[in-house]
Amino acid sequence: MMRRSSILCATLLCLFALLRAPVFAETDQEVAARQVALELAGAFSNDGFKLRDGHWAGTLAPNESRLIAVNLYAGNQYWFSAGATEKAKQVGIEVFDETGAPLAVEKYNAGVKAAAGLSVTKSGEYFVRVRLDEGDTAGVCFVYSYK
Amino acid sequence: MFVWICRGVVLLLLLSSSAPAAPKPLSSPTSESLPPDQLSQAIKTDSVTIPTPGELFAALSKPAKPDWASRYRGPIAMNYRSRTQIALNLGGLIADGCIAVEAQDSQQVKNIGGDIVKMAKALGVSENILARGNSINQFAEDNEWSALQEEMEAAQNEVKSSMQSHRDQDLVILVSLGGWIRGTQVVSSVIVKNYDEKLAQVLRQPELLRFIHAKVGQISPEMQNDPLVKSVDRQLVGIEKIVATPFGKALSLEEVTKLNEAVNQVMQEIQKKEP
Repeated sequence: MMRRSSILCATLLCLFALLRAPVFAETDQEVAARQVALELAGAFSNDGFKLRDGHWAGTLAPNESRLIAVNLYAGNQYWFSAGATEKAKQVGIEVFDETGAPLAVEKYNAGVKAAAGLSVTKSGEYFVRVRLDEGDTAGVCFVYSYK
Repeated sequence: MFVWICRGVVLLLLLSSSAPAAPKPLSSPTSESLPPDQLSQAIKTDSVTIPTPGELFAALSKPAKPDWASRYRGPIAMNYRSRTQIALNLGGLIADGCIAVEAQDSQQVKNIGGDIVKMAKALGVSENILARGNSINQFAEDNEWSALQEEMEAAQNEVKSSMQSHRDQDLVILVSLGGWIRGTQVVSSVIVKNYDEKLAQVLRQPELLRFIHAKVGQISPEMQNDPLVKSVDRQLVGIEKIVATPFGKALSLEEVTKLNEAVNQVMQEIQKKEP
């Protein structure tokens, strides 16, 4: 019963957070993309990953990409998730280390959702590249989880 | 034959209906390296580029299994006069909340949750933080530790979001900075006592410090002239040098000790209540 009320409480807070007027207003496309990214990231929660509350959202044209800097800790595992609105057909996600070298990651790609997972052995700055590979200009959102 | 086909169909149906929610990992292709000019154009934001104290503690928890409860600190003042000092201490309190979550101490989580709400209200941030306080209490009652770690960050973001809507965006980076200092104080103290090169890797964060320092440099001149902000920012330059080992190289025991002394000093200044 208590657990159920906690889940209800969390759900209401999430809904509240999604519905309330944001400070730097995101477009409807970006809000919708965030829902897609959160849905994908939610799958990793089942595996003990904790979802960061922060996110990046924007609009990407076909073949356009954005590079996002994150600071990661040695010893942690991470999943980076990207979601796009349905105007996109295929999004991609890649990870680079502090020197700009591409990293081998576990990958998941399913149309408007993509994720990349890795275990970090060196602390520092890393770069996540989110790409819109196919489709029309769309809202895209990036979130990440750790454990 | 028919029976085997039926069995196959049933098995397929069972497999498809019980497929795990987590996506199946695939092998990855490699891309070309990114040149420095592209790296320098990367998007950096407070909410994504700055890790939470919980992330730092998670990295330490697995190999070191620290006694988190022994890392609690005594109660801090709740009635600081300057808004900058409140913001820095609020960040520290959120890190304290993450320590209590790591210790799986529901009473301590509830106490700190109450302090976070009190301090946030002193800054005049929105009433939404009250809802977060209630949910922190509820999760603590139910021992929902994983959800609590996320809730601590959500509470922090609630405060930051409210600061931005009240045109107090300059305080946002101070909340993050306070959390980083308190988190680093705790982690460096654990590593000093049980030095191990692998553990010391977590403290290497030069780019993070450069980003925080640059953000502090963007706040209003009045706030930059606040004596506490001035002093913390000055000390940050020294701390940045300590944690700037080459990529892949851990801090030495001497460097971790230096770092611990430096963050202890900053933390003392941050939590000091002027008479």
